[in-house]
Amino acid sequence: MAEVCSPLRPALIAGDKKPAGVTEDICRALLRPPSALWWGGFSVAFSLLLAGVAAVSYQIATGVGTWGLNTTVGWAFDITNFVFWVGIGHAGTLISAILFLFRQKWRTSVNRSAEAMTLFAVMCAGIFPIIHTGRPWLAYWLFPYPNFRGPLWINFRSPLAWDCFAISTYFLISAMFWYIGLIPDLATIRDRLQPGLRQRVFAILSFGWNGSYRVWQHYEVLYLLLAGLATPLVISVHTIVSWDFATAVIPGWHATIFPPYFVAGAIFSGIAMVLTLMIVARKAMGLEDYITHRHVDAMCKLLLLTSGIVALAYATEFFTAFYSGNTYEQFVFLNRARGPFAWAYWTMVGCNVFVPQLLWFRSVRRRLAIVFVLCILINVGMWFERFVIIVTSLHRDFLPSNWAGYQPTIVEVATLLGSFGLFFTCFLVFCRVLPVIAMGEVKAVLRHGKSHGEQA
Amino acid sequence: MEKHYWRSLAECENRGELAAAAEPEFAESPAREIEAGPSRRGFLKAAGFALAGGALAGCSRAPGEKAIPYAAQPEGLVAGRAQYYASTCGACTAGCGLLAKVRDGRPIKLEGNREQAISRGATCAAGQASILGLYDSYRLKQPLAGGKPATWEGVDRAVLEKMERIRAGGGAVRYLSETVTSPAKQAAIDRFLAQFRDARHVMYDAVSASAILDAHERTHGARVLPHYRFERADVIAAFDADFLGTWISPVEFARDYAARRMPPNMSWHVQFEGRLSLTGSKADRRIRTAPGEIAGRLAQLAAFIESNGAGGDDLAARLLQARGRSLVVCGVNDLDAQLWTNYINHLLGNYGATLDIERASLQRRGSDRDLADLLAELKQGQVAALFIDAVNPVADLPGVAGLDRIGLFVSFAGSVDETAERAHYICPDHHYLESWADAEPVAGLVSLTQPAIRPLGSTRAAIETLAAWSGHPAKAYDLIREYWKDRFDWDRALEAGFAEVPRTHAAAPRWIGRKPAPPAAATPGYAVDVYAAVGMPGGRHAYNPFLHELPDPITKTTWDNCALLSPAAAASLGVGDGDILRIEAGAAIEVPLLVQPGQHDQVVSVALGYGRKASERFANLGPRWINHKPTINANGRVGANAAPLLAFEHGLLRYQRGGAVVAKTGRRIELALTQTHHTLSVPKHLAPAGGEVRPIVREIAPAELGKPEHAETHEELWPDDHPYNGHRWGMAVDLNACNGCSACVIACQVENNTPVVGKDEVRRRREMHWIRIDRYYSGPPEDVRVAHQPMMCQQCDHAPCETVCPTLATVHSDEGLNQQIYNRCVGTRYCANNCPYKARRFNWFDYPREDRLANLLLNPDVTVRSRGVMEKCTFCVQRIQEAKIEARRNGAPVRDGEIHTACEQACPAGAIVFGDLNDPSSRVSRLAHDARQYRVLDELNVRPSVHYLKIVRDEKQQGEKHHG
Repeated sequence: MAEVCSPLRPALIAGDKKPAGVTEDICRALLRPPSALWWGGFSVAFSLLLAGVAAVSYQIATGVGTWGLNTTVGWAFDITNFVFWVGIGHAGTLISAILFLFRQKWRTSVNRSAEAMTLFAVMCAGIFPIIHTGRPWLAYWLFPYPNFRGPLWINFRSPLAWDCFAISTYFLISAMFWYIGLIPDLATIRDRLQPGLRQRVFAILSFGWNGSYRVWQHYEVLYLLLAGLATPLVISVHTIVSWDFATAVIPGWHATIFPPYFVAGAIFSGIAMVLTLMIVARKAMGLEDYITHRHVDAMCKLLLLTSGIVALAYATEFFTAFYSGNTYEQFVFLNRARGPFAWAYWTMVGCNVFVPQLLWFRSVRRRLAIVFVLCILINVGMWFERFVIIVTSLHRDFLPSNWAGYQPTIVEVATLLGSFGLFFTCFLVFCRVLPVIAMGEVKAVLRHGKSHGEQA
Repeated sequence: MEKHYWRSLAECENRGELAAAAEPEFAESPAREIEAGPSRRGFLKAAGFALAGGALAGCSRAPGEKAIPYAAQPEGLVAGRAQYYASTCGACTAGCGLLAKVRDGRPIKLEGNREQAISRGATCAAGQASILGLYDSYRLKQPLAGGKPATWEGVDRAVLEKMERIRAGGGAVRYLSETVTSPAKQAAIDRFLAQFRDARHVMYDAVSASAILDAHERTHGARVLPHYRFERADVIAAFDADFLGTWISPVEFARDYAARRMPPNMSWHVQFEGRLSLTGSKADRRIRTAPGEIAGRLAQLAAFIESNGAGGDDLAARLLQARGRSLVVCGVNDLDAQLWTNYINHLLGNYGATLDIERASLQRRGSDRDLADLLAELKQGQVAALFIDAVNPVADLPGVAGLDRIGLFVSFAGSVDETAERAHYICPDHHYLESWADAEPVAGLVSLTQPAIRPLGSTRAAIETLAAWSGHPAKAYDLIREYWKDRFDWDRALEAGFAEVPRTHAAAPRWIGRKPAPPAAATPGYAVDVYAAVGMPGGRHAYNPFLHELPDPITKTTWDNCALLSPAAAASLGVGDGDILRIEAGAAIEVPLLVQPGQHDQVVSVALGYGRKASERFANLGPRWINHKPTINANGRVGANAAPLLAFEHGLLRYQRGGAVVAKTGRRIELALTQTHHTLSVPKHLAPAGGEVRPIVREIAPAELGKPEHAETHEELWPDDHPYNGHRWGMAVDLNACNGCSACVIACQVENNTPVVGKDEVRRRREMHWIRIDRYYSGPPEDVRVAHQPMMCQQCDHAPCETVCPTLATVHSDEGLNQQIYNRCVGTRYCANNCPYKARRFNWFDYPREDRLANLLLNPDVTVRSRGVMEKCTFCVQRIQEAKIEARRNGAPVRDGEIHTACEQACPAGAIVFGDLNDPSSRVSRLAHDARQYRVLDELNVRPSVHYLKIVRDEKQQGEKHHG
């Protein structure tokens, strides 16, 4: 593999690290007891998770009626959260797979945690299609499993059935990709641990990795193949999720623009979430040398690009409605911008279109505190984007007699917070037990040991 | 020496001990093995057995129940097949003929009797819902004496003893009842009262028509209520008479009215009223008129008619053109107004044509003057004995006092109401479905009631109680047969449900009236208008959750009565929907406001029949969860009682009075409305060009009739995967006929086991009715037009719900039905989201069905849905199946008109027609090809199977007609 690390470019990893130093830096965080900061974050996240568990248990025991839905608005927080979390996951796959294939070396510092984030986000997402059903204990009927009921298959024409395949495939591939990438690092940790339970666990998890040339070669090939396999998923998963809406007859949902619009939105929100996590982790775990301003800068540019695509999609939606001559369609968009949920619409536009424009400025991109706030706002905006699509389209559809409002209940809010609780709990545990930075890959992009003169 | 192999050092060294344990390796007997405790093999066997046993036991879902067959099969009874008993509805005094559907010994549904003249197969919402009263667990199961359970013997003895004393003392005996339409009962009451020197039978109606009777006494010399014949009227002028909704005999009137509203030769109808009534909503022209102005309007109209149309009044001209074919009705309980009405009808020669006083109506016979006298007597403590039958004066009337000073106070109430709780003895009457009874709603028409079930409690028919207390105990059956002996063929009448008897009057009363005196000027200020709501035609239905949850056809409120104010009046008071108002007119009541377009600016309307004790039971109605709010109001009841606003004036109970004061209290409640956007126009600031008004309901003028719309036809992109080779079920809904009366809604609810969800759930827009009636306003708020649109599952050929269901829980039948398979549904709600008509209903909770008695009403042919599944209109698939099975058994095809869906069956207007679209001669096929036909949201190409027919409204002045 030709090395593209030009001496003219700034180093990807700051501090002139040596490989041993990298191992030391990354493993140090794992081997010392958790800090007060970690405990604080964990207790908040875990409390939210418990609140979510309580809310979901109550809802499953009592009925979907404990949510604020009604005959007209059959989906709201549930599917909003689902699409939101699936979207969050996309950045991980983008960074780990697509950027890998494009040989973007800077990804090495962030891909591990981005992939972990994908996994956790897909876990959060996967909960909602299950709990949003009226009879969640029968939700497995959405899968085409062999049965004695005829056999009775699922409806292969239903986008919800496609969702099941898309999400489960996505989860499996992401998990595999993430785990394969972890193996060399697991072995590193195994080798550094004192004999004991922990070491035995890591020994099992690292599959007898011995760091030999052959093993590395197999590993590289497998990693490349998996990256190739995961790449289409970045496009397909959110495309399929968008079909939930695009194939429906409801104005505001029935739009061919949805697949690219959703994919761009997903990457947009995912990158924002990665940045949010990275900026915190960098500070909290002392990884300033690994996650540098350059990484933040690159991701900010990605944000700016995807924000532009999303803005274009918003404008296109309005144009399509106007140009279609379909008054139901036109009404939906006027209703979005000026109806009872206009506040949600303008929150969405403000956060997703106007706020990211600040990232044009280098000075903004370099101020991590500002970037952090922007990323939070973008995630708020992207959550509202799904809320706007789902709720404003449903609440006033064809027959005016059906027009209704929607107001979430405390159970729904607790479920949303619970999903954040699950996400951050998983992420915090991940930070404690696994290396947040792919040591093996980072070592490959160090300047150490490379003779500049050899560059082609 | 035997060679010794050892397995361990220990064995080698210590041979003796271990050898004993090691040696008998295979020699153990099975018995010893069991004794020795569980072995691996034994454990596996036991585990296998337990697992298999457990699995087998787990396979049976419900515990086995013993079903005991009839020891002797009753004649003609086939288990699982319904029987129908002809009967008469007891929900009001109109006397609609019924067929009570009885399955396995329990009545489960009421259907109109097609042959009987009042019903002609239809019912109203209250009639449909009244079957629930049979299974009302709050009904008394035995008589009460002093509030304690007693025996009939004990009560009889005690009452007779007290009656003896009153007879000796010559005390006043009063029998207070609603209009008695039963001649046999009237005879029993008369016989009973004949025992006393000072005895009087006082009848009153909670919604009185006393002024009509009194006016006819003056103008015709007979206290009669004309039998109004709307089917003979070409021009109808109604003054505050809601004859399609609640007035006197609404089912009969609605049917007769609809019969003359079939385009192209439609009758013309103008309505003068202060409150937008159901009838006003159907009128060609509606003129807002305050109650105080009605008499003046009538006098003015009379003047125009007298001058033979001079003055250019359109209505007078039309009426004059239709002499003898016109009808003027007035619902105001005011003598002046009624005298003028009679005068106009007399001038137009309508008596004997559209008003039959020869065979008059007996549906309202109450006399407010008698009632006022009785109340005065009660107040002064002059009544020794009071018998109360089927009325609740304490709740119905203002100023009932002195009940504590009565010597003997007996109530025949079926449950403890406001009046009965103060009675010394309660002798509960049967529910009408348990009784033998007769009724003569219109002179010459005898409608019979036969029991559809044995009495559920130890109740006794009032007629039997009266007979027992008259000294001639007899069974109700015998009393009725005895009364009608030889007048008609009993068996045939019982089978048909009714009989015609020769008329009793020698000749029709003649006009002896004069031109009435000019009416008094109206009182300025707010007029309070207490009205009967379509869903609650009187307080006697206050126990009925079906009716409380039925959205009012106009206001769309449930579980409350509201003060209706016009938008202008509400704005001037600075109040909005849900603000609690204090209405003062003599007494004061507090009710939440509902802003009602079409309401007169100076009229505040409140429905009667609410705020009853019977509604206290709904405190715990509906699913219980953390955010649940109670169905009852702060007063512990549903709504507020408007009776204190009534007053007696010149011997008449006035429902409308001037001089009311309306003030806001500053408190607010959230109303439970089933529709919150009331027009087909979208809000102005959201309206796209060309999309301001949605063409969901279409309305045309008579001149446009017969001009079919140019329909766009599109090439089909997809192959027709549903060939519909056999039947293809469809429906036609004539919006011109539909008056919104909502009988279909309740009929559907009873037929299809739809749960009642309570006020909080309705407020959250989660009512479960499978058919709803969308009500849309158009025009300016002070002069609204109303359209009613029954909306149910449209059974689309290209159903959007079917493609999106991931589990195939909603699929298309080869006869065009969208079938919902409850046990396959996991409840993703995707289908409901994708339904353009939002006709699907989701079971958000397990709706409580804890009242075991009420559960007897459940239709065994329809699954009771559990939590988390979607449901919707099935086109009454159970009825389709039944008819198909019957047809196959008979070897004949299903004929058109053999299947009636529950909604179609109940509809008084005949607005709903169900049938086979593949049969070109079926009624539904013909309607589907009518020039007025259209389909809602046809442009989506979902191909609904429900065809709507456009409304025809003639709004033009007659002069304009020629210009076309």
